Amino acid sequence: MTPYTQTMKRLTLALALLTLAATATAKEAVPFIENDYATALSKAKAKNLPIFVETWAPW
Amino acid sequence: MRAFVFTDKALERYAGRFVWLAVDTENAKNAAFLTKYPIPALPTLLVLDPRQESVALRYVGGATLPQLTKLLDDGERAFRGRSSSSADTLLASADKLAGAGKNDEAVKLYAQALAKAPKKWKPYNRAAESYAVTLSLAGNSSECASAARDLYPRLKGTPSGANVAATGLDCALSMEKKDPALITTLEKAARESFDDPKVAAAMSGDDRSGLYIVLISAREEAKDEPGAKQLQQEWSSFLDAEAAKAATPEGRSVYDSHRLSAYLELGTPEKAIPMLEQSERDFPDDYNPPARLALAYKTMKKYDEALAASDRALKHVYGPRKLNVLRARAEIYAEKGDKESARKTISEALAYAKSLPAGQRSERTIAALEKRLATM
Repeated sequence: MTPYTQTMKRLTLALALLTLAATATAKEAVPFIENDYATALSKAKAKNLPIFVETWAPW
Repeated sequence: MRAFVFTDKALERYAGRFVWLAVDTENAKNAAFLTKYPIPALPTLLVLDPRQESVALRYVGGATLPQLTKLLDDGERAFRGRSSSSADTLLASADKLAGAGKNDEAVKLYAQALAKAPKKWKPYNRAAESYAVTLSLAGNSSECASAARDLYPRLKGTPSGANVAATGLDCALSMEKKDPALITTLEKAARESFDDPKVAAAMSGDDRSGLYIVLISAREEAKDEPGAKQLQQEWSSFLDAEAAKAATPEGRSVYDSHRLSAYLELGTPEKAIPMLEQSERDFPDDYNPPARLALAYKTMKKYDEALAASDRALKHVYGPRKLNVLRARAEIYAEKGDKESARKTISEALAYAKSLPAGQRSERTIAALEKRLATM
């Protein structure tokens, strides 16, 4: 978790927001569905599984 | 997390237990999702219950592998309804409210969950972090700072303790009427966590960088210039060392934005150039390296190089981030003395801001752009 106000003040300078995120996707150990909530939702309902969501942005 | 955590084979045992969704908040396709589940900061991690389309667990911030597996276990338990105590139920309700953007209501339930926590309650640390951060997001800096002070002793010696101290100190520094005693206590707590090697080893690089940032701000608040400068230098060296340790270009480039900030603060923007040029070569489709180069060149007053880099960034940027690139471009023109182009660029940004769909459209940004335009 990040201390927001001071971080915002400093890092908006560098066009970054709150935290470090990768610019490109390396090989993932779990099968992510990209940007498709509807598909994730119907799959989760069918299998009775929870949905794990990572929200991110390219920066 | 994409570069370091989600690539870890240890997560494979969770693969079939969740449906995994990655949401790029800049992508217009996700506007409806973002309206339904407001995201206060990135990354935010969610576990959703598809039956009710509600939030079963929410964590604002990045996580290391051990932190993530704990969140997954907790999220699965919340989804399966295996809440064994009233504190579990309260925490799940608090996460659900926070996940719907109802921070004021959520903080009350986080407080109740913590008050009713049984001894050795597993989610205590996460609940404490979410309580402090939700108070901060609700704009209640004073309560956030005092809650952090009261919660810290039980969390001492853990990454959650460091995060709560940092969030509390951040709140204390943002209070309209500053409370010097509260700042001192929280700065001491944050510093103690910072100096604890066990805590440092368990923290993610971004949380550690966040700790540096808030400690630098505290030294500035205390008008301790040499102290602030020394921490800035340590912060910069820490980031350089972390980047040097990275095994892949992805791992290295995650530090670019923090390193650039540190170089700018230390008055050495030229140090950012080789690093950003390397990232631009490694990720030719990513707008970030040229956008950051534009900023570094602008600080160095090399306006033509800055504009050329900005051109390259504009070719690749999309979504609300395009506004950042356009605003930075306008400032390059303004500093260069080209008022007409500066004005034109802000007008272009304003039109683009108004064209964004709900969930990505920000009235605050539109107002800020209109205000800037009025001064030009």
